[in-house]
Amino acid sequence: MEREKMVEELAQIVGGENVLASEMDLMLYGYDASLYRGRPDFIVLPGSTEEVSRIVGFAQKEGIPIVARGSGTNLSGGTIPTRGGIVLHFSRMNRILEIDTENQRAIVEPGVFTLVFKNELARYGYVYQPDPASEKVSTFGGNFGENSGGPHCLKYGVTTNHILGAEVVLDDGEVIWVGGKALDNPGYDLTGILVGSEGTLGIATKLILRIMPKPEAVKTMLAIYNTLEDAGSTVSAIIADGIIPATMEMIDKLTIKAVEESVHAGYPLDAEAVLLIELDGLKDGMERLAQRIMEICKKNNVREVKAAKNEEERAQLWAGRKGAFGAISRLRPSYLVCDGTVPRTKLPEVLSKVMEVGKKYGLPIANVFHAGDGNLHPLILFDERNEGELKKVHAAGTEILKLCADAGGTISGEHGIGVEKMKEMSFVFTPRDMAAMRKLKMAFDPAHIYNPGKVIPEAEA
Amino acid sequence: MSNPNKLISKLQGIVGEAHVIHDSDKLKAFAVDGKVPRAIVSPGTMEEASGIVSFANDQQLAVIPRGNGTKMGIGGIPKKADLVLSTGRLNRVIDRDCENLTLSVESGVTLSEVQRDLAERGYFLPLDPPFTDKATLGGIVATNSSGPKRLLYGTARDLITGIKAVFPNGDIVVSGGKTVKNVSGYDMVKLLIGSWGTLGVICEITFNLLPLPEKEQTLLIPFAGLDEAYGFAQEIISSPLLPASVDLLNATAADRVKDLMPSQKGKYLVAIGLEGVAETVERQISEMGERGKKHAALDVVSLDEEGHQAFWIGLRDFPRGLTEDYPNVISLKSNFVISKSTQVLRSYEEIARGLAVECAFICRCGNGILYSHLLVGDDLGSRIDSLVELITRFSSEVSQHEGNLGVESSPLPIKEKVDVWGQPRGDYRIMRRIKEQIDPAGTLNPGRFIGGM
Repeated sequence: MEREKMVEELAQIVGGENVLASEMDLMLYGYDASLYRGRPDFIVLPGSTEEVSRIVGFAQKEGIPIVARGSGTNLSGGTIPTRGGIVLHFSRMNRILEIDTENQRAIVEPGVFTLVFKNELARYGYVYQPDPASEKVSTFGGNFGENSGGPHCLKYGVTTNHILGAEVVLDDGEVIWVGGKALDNPGYDLTGILVGSEGTLGIATKLILRIMPKPEAVKTMLAIYNTLEDAGSTVSAIIADGIIPATMEMIDKLTIKAVEESVHAGYPLDAEAVLLIELDGLKDGMERLAQRIMEICKKNNVREVKAAKNEEERAQLWAGRKGAFGAISRLRPSYLVCDGTVPRTKLPEVLSKVMEVGKKYGLPIANVFHAGDGNLHPLILFDERNEGELKKVHAAGTEILKLCADAGGTISGEHGIGVEKMKEMSFVFTPRDMAAMRKLKMAFDPAHIYNPGKVIPEAEA
Repeated sequence: MSNPNKLISKLQGIVGEAHVIHDSDKLKAFAVDGKVPRAIVSPGTMEEASGIVSFANDQQLAVIPRGNGTKMGIGGIPKKADLVLSTGRLNRVIDRDCENLTLSVESGVTLSEVQRDLAERGYFLPLDPPFTDKATLGGIVATNSSGPKRLLYGTARDLITGIKAVFPNGDIVVSGGKTVKNVSGYDMVKLLIGSWGTLGVICEITFNLLPLPEKEQTLLIPFAGLDEAYGFAQEIISSPLLPASVDLLNATAADRVKDLMPSQKGKYLVAIGLEGVAETVERQISEMGERGKKHAALDVVSLDEEGHQAFWIGLRDFPRGLTEDYPNVISLKSNFVISKSTQVLRSYEEIARGLAVECAFICRCGNGILYSHLLVGDDLGSRIDSLVELITRFSSEVSQHEGNLGVESSPLPIKEKVDVWGQPRGDYRIMRRIKEQIDPAGTLNPGRFIGGM
């Protein structure tokens, strides 16, 4: 079918104003927060499940790819339309449909921003635990597709532990529900499979979320270190001592510099690393646990531990962590963020190897990451316009992921495989493992219309 | 392979002579819903398991994976039962890494064994399904078995980071790993949890561990009526308090565990398990007791360490011993949205009363799960119709509350007349496609899973 005819047919489904196809639009929807670029043929803004279903039916008939996306905060190129086709942008499907505190569930459309929902929920005294750093704009559709993490996942688990069901449009346009508000529905855990499938198996149009009463008390501390290794050792020592804080975030010197210039979180500029440790739950015994944590920090040569005295001070400490990725751009124009995960006891060892990789390639590396669950985020800083640097950056990124895989970890903790890490899949999976994953893809989307060319590398002939 | 001797010698060639049972008397004990297998094979390694499964797949033999057999009665009647693959010899601890809070272990180990070993080191695996002294980890995970403490700790899907399994074509497929966070590739771990051995034979599992709680205690609070009992339970669940478990029992159920309680009063009992930091346990004991009294509790009793442990073992292993008193006991599991607990329970009670069936009910209030044990004695033959009617009516009641009813165990004559998995839902078609892609020959556990898969 001709392009103009296609635009016309799509306009019949969603209305002419909701089909974007100008040169400018195609540029704007060709990138996300990764280093990759693509070019869609059309951008379609559906307003309902039924419209999504009809668009998918159209794409299936025409054999063109569909890439679903929210705000494009994806860090692995998962929302890049590498093979053209339709980008399905969910900005119009952004309603909170239900906050059902009685059943501890909520239902949202995929275009709802994470923080908007959390703020609404706070009015009921309830919380949704996952907290990706991009939560100001990250959408639930994106959280679902990527199985997003965040600092609080140390204690509460990632997105998959908090999404209990979804309305999903299958590859032929059929709409089904998987999971539900009730637990333990019989059959395969399709919700569990779809969460984190990066838009390659189905498109969620409604999501059932687990919400819980707000914890009674919270205690936030900042531990300041003269070496990165001491900070790393503290993390595994706290866990080994039997304490599971809600978060344990690490921020290194280079990041502190950038953060302090932009958000003034109050991190000392001469520290090599800081740990942001938070306890939550019932107030009883929390002071005692905090004392125990401080003892462990001291044993690991902490310089100083500061505790937030009120909500304002807590917010300030967190502002530094949440604004870190944004602040980094003050140092160099571009960065590649690696998302490798290692068993936490390997943190100090892997961290120092990561810094060696930076030296080897002559590239500065900033670290800001979820230390408690061993999820590193080395940010390799460079200038995208310098082609030589770009090549080096990708080589360094691959080397860092190999380090993580070899330390018993994996290549992505929360950012996804997308296009960026497909070549590294073989670090952690055998051809047989990937063959099993391809069978799953075949069960959902045999014609490969959903986000083709992502996650699972094509089988070698 | 029609020649029986050839079959046995082939199997013996893979696992060794000593590890194939083919004596017809012995085989009878391994029958599943009356279907007697041709051999019991016990591989000693994942590679041997792979050899067995790939051979069976080539020969179109049906394989039924089995641990210690605590759940062989659950599920549909198998279409075929050629080989039982016993995981009994897959019993090694692969990697016990308490500092990282992970444990990788083979699937044939019982949960109790693992817990004993971990407790010596100050840790535990936060799963408390029934029969932990017999149930193997493989069986627990394959059936997504859970217990009262799921309220605080979640279920297998929240606690497992990696699985190694033998797929129907014999491939050893590794999913996940030992890190808590992992979004590399599809989450095949979720696919295998609760898949009832229909997609792969689970051989090795990596669990998250937790340090043992500082203190554990139980609160037992009886009430005269359901409204008071549930009103109290609901208040606890929607508060910031953090109980490990909140179970509600009717008098029939409470009566079965009366030896584990200092006294028994009222028509409904709310049992709350508490564990964690000492100060939080103490504070919750007193606060919950006070809240109970406001809901007209008849009594507030707390159980310390030993009493506490014994009570919860009794409750999670509730079906144990039931068959001695009620040889034809039927156990049902219903799920629904949590706010409908009283409504479901009340209509179940009415239906049961109308059909003169005595029921022990245990409701996992914070999770919306209700276990109903129908206490049927020797007179099954004359009661089949009314029992089938009861199951049908329970099922239609719970389906009005976004839920479903499954039959967890029942005598064969009942199984033949009801769908033990309940009504297939809109997502069944895609489940079917997954099964067809991964197990096109129908080698693993054919017929036992939802929709006859």
